[in-house]
Amino acid sequence: MAETEHRAAPRVREYETIFLLSPDLTDENVGIVKDRVRGIVDRNGGKFLRFTVWGKKRTMYPIGKQSRAIYVQAHYLGGTSLVAEIERNLRNLDAVTRFMSKRLADDADPAAHEPQDDLTLGGDSDDKSPLGSPDRDDFSRDDDASDDESSDGSDPRS
Amino acid sequence: MTPKKHQKTNASNFDRGGEDDDKRRGGLTRRRACRFCTDKNARVDYKDQATLKYFVTERGKIIPRRISGNCSKHQRAVAKAIKQARGLALIPYLVLQG
Repeated sequence: MAETEHRAAPRVREYETIFLLSPDLTDENVGIVKDRVRGIVDRNGGKFLRFTVWGKKRTMYPIGKQSRAIYVQAHYLGGTSLVAEIERNLRNLDAVTRFMSKRLADDADPAAHEPQDDLTLGGDSDDKSPLGSPDRDDFSRDDDASDDESSDGSDPRS
Repeated sequence: MTPKKHQKTNASNFDRGGEDDDKRRGGLTRRRACRFCTDKNARVDYKDQATLKYFVTERGKIIPRRISGNCSKHQRAVAKAIKQARGLALIPYLVLQG
């Protein structure tokens, strides 16, 4: 009996959406965007789990003529129409410069997932050594895998 | 029962090509093991820049699996993760040098 009820219920999946906000937004404006996304999830029958604000980070290439962005990760349960509605709203917001949604699991159990407090990370600590800086200091590899690629005739950077 | 002529007796488990590939690689290199197969805790995640950086070159290109040593399953996952990370500007599409 329980199996038939389970089949009749719409399928609930686990999703995460990461969106990039303009770096000049204040914390209040970031909170407004978060509340909007949270409201969409609640109105469309989903279950919101957590926001993780990665903070202001340097992007690896300029987006919207900005070299930094505020990364926000939304974690929720819902269906496909919910994801489409969130992305439609994010597309209409001027503060959102980029977004991407990804399915984490099929057939998620809403009872097994409890909403958690929002998490805020620090982002890049300073401008001199940001995460993944364009000078690619952190991308230097010490193994021999780059030997095949280093024969392109360009001089290595000092 | 005599062994067949084409039957390999000392073939390596890691090597599909046999002697020809050994000559091509100089005969001194050993194929790397897939790090995601050997380490069960390692997972491919497009948000994990620290792991993905081992699979891109200094120019930002995806390293082929004959060099990185990934199995085909995890190479597909790594390539997909790198492309997703590029879309979020976590990893560059291209690094201009010089």
